[in-house]
Amino acid sequence: MNRRKFLKISLASAGALTAAACGGSSSAAPAEIHFGAGLPLTGGQAREGSLFKKGYELAAKEVNDTGGLMIKEFNKKIPVKLTMLDDKSDPTASVQVYEKLATEDKVNFFLGGYSTPLVQAHSIVPQKYSIPYVNGGGSTGEIYQRNNKWIFGLITNIERLATTLIKFIAAQQDAGKLPKPVKIALLVENTSHGKEFVKGVEDAQKASPDRYQVVLNEAFELNIKDADPLMQKLKATNADVFLCDARVADYTTIHRRYVELGLKHKVVSYGPRGPEKAARDAIGAGSNYIVAANWWNSALVDEPSKAFTAKYKAAYANEDPEWFAALGYETARVMFAAIEQAGTLDKTKVRDAIAATKMKPSLVIGGEVSFDTDGQIKNDYMMTQNLPDGKVAVIWPSTLASQAAIVPIP
Amino acid sequence: MCFQISILNSQFQILMSFDTFLNLFAASILTAGLYATMSYGLALIYGVMKLTNLSHAGVLMLAAYGTYWLNTLGISPYLAPFIVVPLWFGIGIVWQHTLVKRIMLMPPIASLLFFFGIWLIMQNFAYLVFKSDIRSITNEATLLTYKLGPLVLSQNRLIVFFAGITALVSLQLFLTRTYQGRAIRALAADAEAARLSGIDTDRISALAFGLGIALAAFAGCLMALIFAFDPEFGRSHLLKSFCIVVLGGLESFVGVALGAIMLALAENFSIQFMPAALQDMVSFVLLVIVLLTIPNGLMSLLKGKK
Repeated sequence: MNRRKFLKISLASAGALTAAACGGSSSAAPAEIHFGAGLPLTGGQAREGSLFKKGYELAAKEVNDTGGLMIKEFNKKIPVKLTMLDDKSDPTASVQVYEKLATEDKVNFFLGGYSTPLVQAHSIVPQKYSIPYVNGGGSTGEIYQRNNKWIFGLITNIERLATTLIKFIAAQQDAGKLPKPVKIALLVENTSHGKEFVKGVEDAQKASPDRYQVVLNEAFELNIKDADPLMQKLKATNADVFLCDARVADYTTIHRRYVELGLKHKVVSYGPRGPEKAARDAIGAGSNYIVAANWWNSALVDEPSKAFTAKYKAAYANEDPEWFAALGYETARVMFAAIEQAGTLDKTKVRDAIAATKMKPSLVIGGEVSFDTDGQIKNDYMMTQNLPDGKVAVIWPSTLASQAAIVPIP
Repeated sequence: MCFQISILNSQFQILMSFDTFLNLFAASILTAGLYATMSYGLALIYGVMKLTNLSHAGVLMLAAYGTYWLNTLGISPYLAPFIVVPLWFGIGIVWQHTLVKRIMLMPPIASLLFFFGIWLIMQNFAYLVFKSDIRSITNEATLLTYKLGPLVLSQNRLIVFFAGITALVSLQLFLTRTYQGRAIRALAADAEAARLSGIDTDRISALAFGLGIALAAFAGCLMALIFAFDPEFGRSHLLKSFCIVVLGGLESFVGVALGAIMLALAENFSIQFMPAALQDMVSFVLLVIVLLTIPNGLMSLLKGKK
């Protein structure tokens, strides 16, 4: 072996050893992992959007405080970077925001937006650019039934919400607190959200006509300004139970008129709405005893919920967390965990890791995150009841309940 | 009550109890009071200056927030109009002197865009200051109801109704019994003739515009007693106001009141036998029917001309 040949072999061996020491990768590790989210930071849903933002920021801070996400491919921890853009609560702008995140900001991964119509609109973008997307703000099953393999949702569908309320009503019937059959008045927003809610109740009625009788089934347009005609119609039905599926703004408007007219039912629910502070402040004592089926609440006393509430309060000036922030936090955690599990920033491998997620403990009801084949979680709802003085009690399921539900409403 | 009222439809029959009918009728009349109040300002500004004030919705919304803000300072929402309305009257006068009179001579599209821009600025100002949280003025008094036999009447709606009646009567007296009022009517009838007869048209225009804005603010204060609101508040009410003004005849306040009653009755009764999701459609269907059959509004029927 001559000197020139020896030098070549030595340099090649040194190079191979260096590459092996760096994890065997042929590409350099990025300085940061870039996540993009489009959130309603102004406009009608700015409040909820800002709570999701806080959840994302809290999860990112936690990771960055430990040096970042451990990526096996680079054998090092890489910090995370969030870019959160404002979609102005507008579905069209929401699509544009995610397009921008993909093409201009060139994010590695997407975190989801809020609310259902906005998620429904922009959830086509992840598939277009093959970028994994996890959200905690879009609930309707329609979002996930489009054979889109790049989107995952942490909140279970609305049909299950209706089913949860129906199971709760059945339990009250069995306890002798509600009649059989119980007359149900149903008002829903005129969206896929509302339609799924109606389907859940109607399926229950078909299965058990001896238990449930729907005496009113009406849809109303979003952002209702005067609920008076609707409440007059409700009044004429003499229902036992009033179930409504509505956004926070519509819940406030409708229930205010409900209280003004002196209406009363044995059970009142606005679906996932009820304990929101802004709404309770706006309605006052009239919001007492409303029951809500929801994805999370700070009244939960399981260990993950207690830990999150404490962390959130410490980070945000003792502010009580609402489910929007909790689901934002959990959405980011699921994405982070899947990336670490995949050990790479390869988008397809990360998507597969998200699909295979079995994360526990978790804030979601049931304590474990796993996704169905359509990409949506299929866990249960929990239920709360508003109590006087702004308090909230967990009333369902019995394993999480802090007290029995007050039925009928006093 | 022992009897029922039958409303026959081509496809089905709806039976409505007398109690329901009575409550619906009362609710319609009370709602009409509010609808009329929120439309006077729009009618006045259009009648005198031929300007379509799209920022009307913004004034409704900011006046509602003004009432809310005063309430947080401990001032009763029932007294808030005494502060909010004069303030908006002043803003209207300044506004007319500084901005509006410059666009009055421009093509109508310029004024439409101008007022639309002002409305957007108002909305963004509200988002900046009050955030997007939904607000409402709620206390024991605002939720008080009276039961008169089968009738359930909300105290707030009664107050708003009587405030609307008071506004209509005051406006009619002002326009018919005072020099300024007669000058406003003269300006509305023929601006050139008014100027030739010695009326200071600039000053009277400013007065009319200020009054129109003050009436919108008054409606906003009253609406804050009834509705929950956010910075988007006023949009659907603006559309209803347009409908009412066209229904009533563009330049008549009594016509506006009649238009308001007609719309409120149509909305409240139609929803009993059609999907609630179509509630907003009622006003537009009514608008189209009136434009096709009585283009000069309800008042033209009373005056015997179509």
